[in-house]
Amino acid sequence: MRDAEMCMIPNQIPGFDTTSFDREQQATPLDDLASVVAMYQPRVFRFLLATLRDRDAAETLTQETFLRAWTARDTFREDCSISTWLIRIALNLARDHTRTGRFRFWKHVSSSAVDAADVASIVPAHEISAEAHLIAQQQVAGIWQTVDGLSDRQRTVFLLRFLEEMEIPQIATVTGMPLSTVKSHLYRALDAVRAQHSKAAQTLNPSPKEIA
Amino acid sequence: MTPQLDSQQLAAHFDSVEGPELVGAHLTAEQFGELLAGSAPDASPQDAFVEAHLLACEQCSAELDELRQSITLFRDATRAYANEQMLHRTRWVLPTRTAHSLRSGYWAAAAAMLLIALLPMQVLYQHARPAQPVAAVSSVPDATQSDEALLEDVDRAISTSVPTPMQALADPTATASNDNFASTSTQRK
Repeated sequence: MRDAEMCMIPNQIPGFDTTSFDREQQATPLDDLASVVAMYQPRVFRFLLATLRDRDAAETLTQETFLRAWTARDTFREDCSISTWLIRIALNLARDHTRTGRFRFWKHVSSSAVDAADVASIVPAHEISAEAHLIAQQQVAGIWQTVDGLSDRQRTVFLLRFLEEMEIPQIATVTGMPLSTVKSHLYRALDAVRAQHSKAAQTLNPSPKEIA
Repeated sequence: MTPQLDSQQLAAHFDSVEGPELVGAHLTAEQFGELLAGSAPDASPQDAFVEAHLLACEQCSAELDELRQSITLFRDATRAYANEQMLHRTRWVLPTRTAHSLRSGYWAAAAAMLLIALLPMQVLYQHARPAQPVAAVSSVPDATQSDEALLEDVDRAISTSVPTPMQALADPTATASNDNFASTSTQRK
């Protein structure tokens, strides 16, 4: 059985199934919800924030992820890590969310939309010159914008590999795509990032090596 | 990550491949992708060639380093930004609201609304009670009769659509039209 099939989650999880609360349930690692949330919330929120680029939407879907995970905790068979399972739920929610035209419209006008400059401003300025700091900020902003322009699948694979540092087989499990497809999307995403990087490097006189 | 070749393997490759061939053609997009993505290494001759090329070609080597550095910066900045946003957003709620608590919440809200609706009626009732004169206790039959008479008057006044003093003004054309109708009928006759 493929990894992706081993770590299945139900597509339609009932929101508030009253019967599931009344019956006796077997203990699962997700019963201690407070611990699970404390441990995995930053990761889920981070992934959703980078995927959706909207703080409010990321926050809402992060809570929805844990709610769904807890509601469907009986279906967690421990054949993949909790982290992988949660990211998969988050990814499904993000897909559903971004399918709506309303999201695409509000993404551009929402006050909670994340701007590339906001993220780039986080780059620490210590131990590098002001010029190198500026170059680093431009590099981060450039990649952030490039990732935004990728297709949904390319963006997901890129973020899972380079933001969440997942291995390629793990990404295949989360996305449900074959390994070869994951690699293909990843290479295309990297090609776009490389093209943007080369273009930006041509406009900058100082060598980015000074950042090191 | 791409496997690091030991010195013997590298020497073998440098011996087998001509120098200009190593540097002449730069790495392809796919080879860059494999190097950056760190896909599972299989120590194939192709990987060995890529390693050897990177050792020989400064341009590709520098570009790879810069790309890795940029992606690391992107990762660190995005993580730091997300952590900062999480700290500012403290309204996280654990999903402990079960169906039971939701149902009890609905009942509580309904009870509160009912209480709010009944409270003004209770207040009005309490205000109305002192209006009954205590002195009337001594003459209960008279007071009852006068009350009943008063209520009958009020009923009568309410049941009439037009107050008695205004009766004359209610339909000033009524008598006139009747008269006209009577006169026209007599004329026809």
